[in-house]
Amino acid sequence: MLKKIKGRVWRLGDNIDTDVIYPGKYLPIIEAQEMALHALEGYEKDFPKKIKKGDIIVAGANFGCGSSREQAATSLKYAGIACIVAKSFSRIFFRNAINQGLALVISKEAHKLVKEAEEVTVDFANGKFSAKGGEVNFPPLPEMVMGILENGGLIAHTRKRLGIAK
Amino acid sequence: MKIPHKKELIELQKKYRTDKRIGEALGGVPAYLVAYWRRKKKIGRYSYPKYSQEQIRELWERFGDDAKAGEELGIGSHAFRRWRKRYKLKEKPVQLKLEQLKLELDINFNLLRKFMKYTIARNLLASKAGRKKVEVGEIVEVEPDLAMSHDNAGLVIKQFRQIGVEKVWNNRKIVIPLDHRAPAESEKTAIAHKSIREFVKEQEIRNFYDIREGVCHQVVVEKAHLLPGQLAVGTDSHTTSYGCIGAVSTGIGATEMAVVWATGRIWLLVPETIKITINGKLPKGVYAKDVILNLAKRLTVEGANYKAIEFYGSTVKEMSISERFTLSNLSMEMGAKFAVVPFDETTQTYLVGRTNKNYEPTFAGEEAEYVQEVELRVERMVPQVACPHNVDNVKNVGEVTRIRIDQVVLGSCTNGRLDDLEIAARILKGRKVHPEVRMLVIPASRSVYLQAMERGLLRDFVEAGGVVLNPGCGPCLGAHQGILAPGERCLATTNRNFKGRMGSPQAEVYLGSPATAAASAIRGRIADPREFL
Repeated sequence: MLKKIKGRVWRLGDNIDTDVIYPGKYLPIIEAQEMALHALEGYEKDFPKKIKKGDIIVAGANFGCGSSREQAATSLKYAGIACIVAKSFSRIFFRNAINQGLALVISKEAHKLVKEAEEVTVDFANGKFSAKGGEVNFPPLPEMVMGILENGGLIAHTRKRLGIAK
Repeated sequence: MKIPHKKELIELQKKYRTDKRIGEALGGVPAYLVAYWRRKKKIGRYSYPKYSQEQIRELWERFGDDAKAGEELGIGSHAFRRWRKRYKLKEKPVQLKLEQLKLELDINFNLLRKFMKYTIARNLLASKAGRKKVEVGEIVEVEPDLAMSHDNAGLVIKQFRQIGVEKVWNNRKIVIPLDHRAPAESEKTAIAHKSIREFVKEQEIRNFYDIREGVCHQVVVEKAHLLPGQLAVGTDSHTTSYGCIGAVSTGIGATEMAVVWATGRIWLLVPETIKITINGKLPKGVYAKDVILNLAKRLTVEGANYKAIEFYGSTVKEMSISERFTLSNLSMEMGAKFAVVPFDETTQTYLVGRTNKNYEPTFAGEEAEYVQEVELRVERMVPQVACPHNVDNVKNVGEVTRIRIDQVVLGSCTNGRLDDLEIAARILKGRKVHPEVRMLVIPASRSVYLQAMERGLLRDFVEAGGVVLNPGCGPCLGAHQGILAPGERCLATTNRNFKGRMGSPQAEVYLGSPATAAASAIRGRIADPREFL
């Protein structure tokens, strides 16, 4: 299912925390579409409006550190972010993103290669990230994690496992 | 009054069981009338599920108390007594004495020699997975002993409904305290709280604490919902706090929790472990908060990402459960997955009177393999302050004493317990909060609130010019009760100083100990508490 993603880059720094991605005041929202209107609002007030469907975030280390609020991952996914590439992810954000079916790539080098707003390609089948500045390989995610992602998130994955959905 | 149909009455009986409660649900119909309808419609009395002799005996031996044992089964004390009598269990069981527990501990140590190279995380995950051993980096599927959610249970419920499972896997292992926006600050929250209350009734979740009880983590530890050697997951990053009683616990998201509610299972990666040894006597004006902030500075905000932490050393040994709580709580800010202070006499003493249940602490082997070992001496440490906008941006208090502040927050799961309030009250007694500072005091729980009241601490705060709020999270996460305006600065005893955390992204949050908070409230600038002690 996950093969190749092509998209425009948003280049972000280190330690992008959950309060920046999804400010605490919006936590009572439970509809994903509404969450999307506030994605990365703490980073830049107009950011949610600038995101186009299929964009890719390329960030530094410890992306998504802080709170366990999964709205951080959900808002990004529903705002249209197709994939996040980072030097590293904070533990809970990593799980949340996978559970929401948001693709992640861990790559130490990708951040150096990219410039803001350029178009990059993430090739999951071959584990390759390509930008104008060059290409790097990234390691695949554990098989089980990939399974959740390919089923479109943990809810769908669980429904399948429990035999509720095919 | 419309008499319910047979079907409706059966449904009501499933939900409320007794005639009395059915009557109440129908808006005050007397029980005898409900019983009359039942007889007319040929519906029998509600019959409780049959409990086996072993089950009743096990509970009786564990609790020795009809009310407590009954609570485990969801029945009253009289009902449990009837079950007990049916199985001829008359004598009170011998209660576990402290000495007996100690004896058990020794045996445990012997057992664990087999796994001398194992850390606490590895030992515990292996036993939870029902395996002899597990390797670091391996993914295991386990059943947690506790699943905690707070106000975000609203979102968990929404996800749970999507899965298509009707009942939660175990209504005794779910704990839900409402604390983040308590009482509800908006209509949206009020709706969420209402949906949680309804869900709790429907699923018969017993350990639900409405807005009166306090911060979720404090409630879990205080009421011993989790015990040493057990595993918890919670929809809050600071779930790592339960490490203070020798438990292993970590934060997860709402969707993940929905799946735990549905299946009782979660996958976890067996983590590497960092061993942190803290030695020496804490100098005057320096507390657990200063120690952990200093550690955050050394290890950085991602220094323990994906890893477990174990705390050792003479300083930790001397610390109360409350102080250890602060260590385990703030370890999350270094990314830690678990942060455990191993079980010892202090833990044991803390749990006496809080639980009658048996528990089996987990320890690390003598030759446990750690990925990193950190040693810290505290004799010369000075009070620490984490500056905006990262928890590892830590400075000695002397470097920041010129910074003016508009608000002080004393409270939260990090530092809102009785000892924290006592330290602050000692400094504030007989002094006044600076006229340009708003000082907010938020006890971590109802029990802390009551004790602070009895000891006159709340009076000290109010007399000094502080504002005492209800137990809960307060403004820590920027939800309500003290939001900051652009350009304002706050010194808080909470756990995060991210940009926009307490309101405006143009505001600044500094983190310090309760003593630093009290001293700063008096000065109107960040202040060194040692000047007041």
